[in-house]
Amino acid sequence: MSISENLYKHAGLVFPAGAVVLALVFAGQIDPYLAFVATSWVIFGLLGLSLDVVWGRGGLLSLGQTAFYGLGGYFGSVVAINLAPATGNSLIWALPAGAAFGALAAAALGYVIFFARMGPLQSTILSYTFTLLLWSVTQTFKLDVGEASIGGDNGMSNIPGIVLGFGEDAEPLGPNAAFAAAIVIAALLYFFTRWLMRGTFGRIVDCIRIDAEKTELLGYDVRKYQLLNFAYSGALAGLAGALFGLWANYLNPSIFSVQEALLVPIYVLVGGLGTLSGAFLGALAIGALSFFLGGGAVGGQTTLILGGVLILLVLFLQNGILGGLGNLWRKSLSDPNEAARNAGAVKIDSTVLGEILQDAAKDAGPAKNMGTDEAFKQFGGVIPVNKVTQTFTPGKPYSLIGPNGAGKSSFLKTCVGMYKPEGGTVTLGHDDITHAPIFDRVRKGMGVKNQKPQVFGELTVADNLWTAAFARTHDTDKAEEVAAKILSMLGLEGQSGVQASALSHGQQQWLDIGMVLCLAPRVVLLDEPAAGMTNEETRELSSLVRTLAKHTTVVVVEHDMEFVRTLEGHVTVLHQGEVFAEGDIETLRADDRVLDIYLGRSEHV
Amino acid sequence: MELDFLATVLLSSLSSASILLIATIGLAVVFGLMGVINLAHGEFLMIGAYTALTVTQAGVPYILSIPIAVAVTMVIGAIVELLIINRLYGRLFDTMLATWGLSIVFYQLAVLIFGTVTPGIGMPQFSIAVGEYSLAGYPLLMIGVAAAMLIFVYLLMTKSVYGMKARASIQVPHMAQAIGIESSRTNMLTFSVGCGLAGFAGAVLLPIVPATPSMGFAFVIKAFLTVVVAGPVTLTGSAITALGLGGGASVTASFMTSVVGDVFFFVITALLLWLYPMGISAKWRRKL
Repeated sequence: MSISENLYKHAGLVFPAGAVVLALVFAGQIDPYLAFVATSWVIFGLLGLSLDVVWGRGGLLSLGQTAFYGLGGYFGSVVAINLAPATGNSLIWALPAGAAFGALAAAALGYVIFFARMGPLQSTILSYTFTLLLWSVTQTFKLDVGEASIGGDNGMSNIPGIVLGFGEDAEPLGPNAAFAAAIVIAALLYFFTRWLMRGTFGRIVDCIRIDAEKTELLGYDVRKYQLLNFAYSGALAGLAGALFGLWANYLNPSIFSVQEALLVPIYVLVGGLGTLSGAFLGALAIGALSFFLGGGAVGGQTTLILGGVLILLVLFLQNGILGGLGNLWRKSLSDPNEAARNAGAVKIDSTVLGEILQDAAKDAGPAKNMGTDEAFKQFGGVIPVNKVTQTFTPGKPYSLIGPNGAGKSSFLKTCVGMYKPEGGTVTLGHDDITHAPIFDRVRKGMGVKNQKPQVFGELTVADNLWTAAFARTHDTDKAEEVAAKILSMLGLEGQSGVQASALSHGQQQWLDIGMVLCLAPRVVLLDEPAAGMTNEETRELSSLVRTLAKHTTVVVVEHDMEFVRTLEGHVTVLHQGEVFAEGDIETLRADDRVLDIYLGRSEHV
Repeated sequence: MELDFLATVLLSSLSSASILLIATIGLAVVFGLMGVINLAHGEFLMIGAYTALTVTQAGVPYILSIPIAVAVTMVIGAIVELLIINRLYGRLFDTMLATWGLSIVFYQLAVLIFGTVTPGIGMPQFSIAVGEYSLAGYPLLMIGVAAAMLIFVYLLMTKSVYGMKARASIQVPHMAQAIGIESSRTNMLTFSVGCGLAGFAGAVLLPIVPATPSMGFAFVIKAFLTVVVAGPVTLTGSAITALGLGGGASVTASFMTSVVGDVFFFVITALLLWLYPMGISAKWRRKL
């Protein structure tokens, strides 16, 4: 690996570290007034970081970050006013209190958003109105807590400064030292956040952003991760707010204003969405811009300029400064997706597969039956699943066939939990799973492959498999081992470092199937797995499905009759949401009624 | 007497709900027909209000100032669509951010041109007696105005050629293009109509809500919540939501303070979204 590639890989570590050292050197030299103002840029950068965590990584555009920032500021300051005089040091009170309160507020709002499974638009609007609501409430909110006095639109004063020393005669830091302290705090939080986002937690948060449905189909409780991520961003914002209170010695409701809230996405967009460090660069750029424009005719219109800047950013500069530079840099490096072009055809070795499945059975227990009893699903006047009673057992693959609109996919979706049935029950083994959330069904042993290949395009092939394996094993090393086995079975070792989006359609199908196998499912549901595959690939798939059926229960929805014939299993014909005929494929081929509904002739149509 | 009191509370709540609906319809039309959330909607309301105010101060009768306000906001809306919105179709959140930036630009321009405090115009004086109580007539008139706006938008969407094209474009965009509907022009008109409705709202509400640069922010909170709670069936959904939420908040406010009314509005909204995460109309079969 060349120096350039190595540096690119660690850019998020090397450059911020350099910037911190540089900033600390400057902190001792610059004019105290500039140091004072620049401290606020660092604080705004932290606030921007909190948005980048939830938006750039989590995928939710939250316009409520200033709400957590303000709440953290108020709460942290109230605690500091009352307790700091006893110790001298104000940071140990204000920062944890602000972070805790910000996290709590974000968790409360996030609970409503994520556990109700609100749409993205609903979530964004709710977070925005949360900020606006706080703005109007705090105008008249008056409360005395010990020494602290929250005075509605008069604000709260007497907040102690940034005090590092302990004891009664500890003095607040001067502007330059306070600037240095803010830099150190921000750096610690940035490096911690980076570590968190590069670890397992960050990986799953990334997966949820890319494809929340697939992440849940791997057995992750998506809501929990979203909530934790949101609460963490609330903690960052709250801590930034508390630091702001100490810096300004004064807070008022304008902290919740639209003008404040508007700045946060600007910081993130200027620096580069999803880059984490970009938020600081954005805050620095915008802060320096307003500072050097000064007061005067132009500087007085900062709000106007910023509004315009946001519009231009959205229209013309989607990746921000760091994103744009990163793209340029990447072009000069060798393409890691090169290997995707050299991939050969997938060849399934049924002995290897058999061993993997036996291993899986050791870990996850014996295969389970899946059954439905009078399952019923209705959309207005259409009834795609009409009182279907079926039992699926291991041994032979089950195929569901039927003309377009027969209700095959709807039946499968009802089993998976994407559709909630209006009547009847669905059972997995001995559990009634009719009302269980999707991730719970997956944890109980259901493995699902939807019609379109669902892979996490931004992740490498190996990481895709690892994420799936980790969902079951909850153990980094074990997941590595399982993923490596499946990788070699698929024959994709040469492509392990390739981004999944660079693979061909057929390879993505195989990768998706591989991810399902990583889960060691006890029941496998496949929705049109042969769609878009070559004849050769279809043959391999058939052999895989037959081997799979020896160890688990397999249900396949399929259009390709030739493929269904090669499976040599049990076939169920669905028609207008009901079970129309059952048996093996030869019997059904001889059945005139089945031919009628496929060809659209005579009275059975 | 108790009955009279109840009747006045009900009537004034109905009028509050109507005012909310008047302020929301434009937003609902743009969201329903273009899938775009215009965060500058409140500022278009403000532009309508200031236009009506300026024209009235110049000596034009108030009633004539309303169509002028509509025309001005429609033109500005068309320009905004041309310059910003049509570059961002299919990027819901980018559109929101861009219109958010726009809202702050309009706000700041209004501060520059008109200052932060401006005189309202006197409310047309007439009142209605309910038993021992007397209610100002103009706010009650808003009930009729809201109903008229609903009917107007409904007829525009179902009876006019433009309405058919607009609905076709949002329901099956590629099919609409295949039969020769130029969706970019339809969208421009839709956005312009939505802004015109906001301008109408600003002008017609001027006697009740005086024009200030920040009036947009105050109004949009409830208008946005109404639209997202309403969900995909925007027109009927918004009408029902505005009645329920606006009326409820107003009843709460008349017994307690207006801040409590706002909190009530927010909490009920969160609760409704908890029950209907994609909006109350997500599973309805009607489309308008």
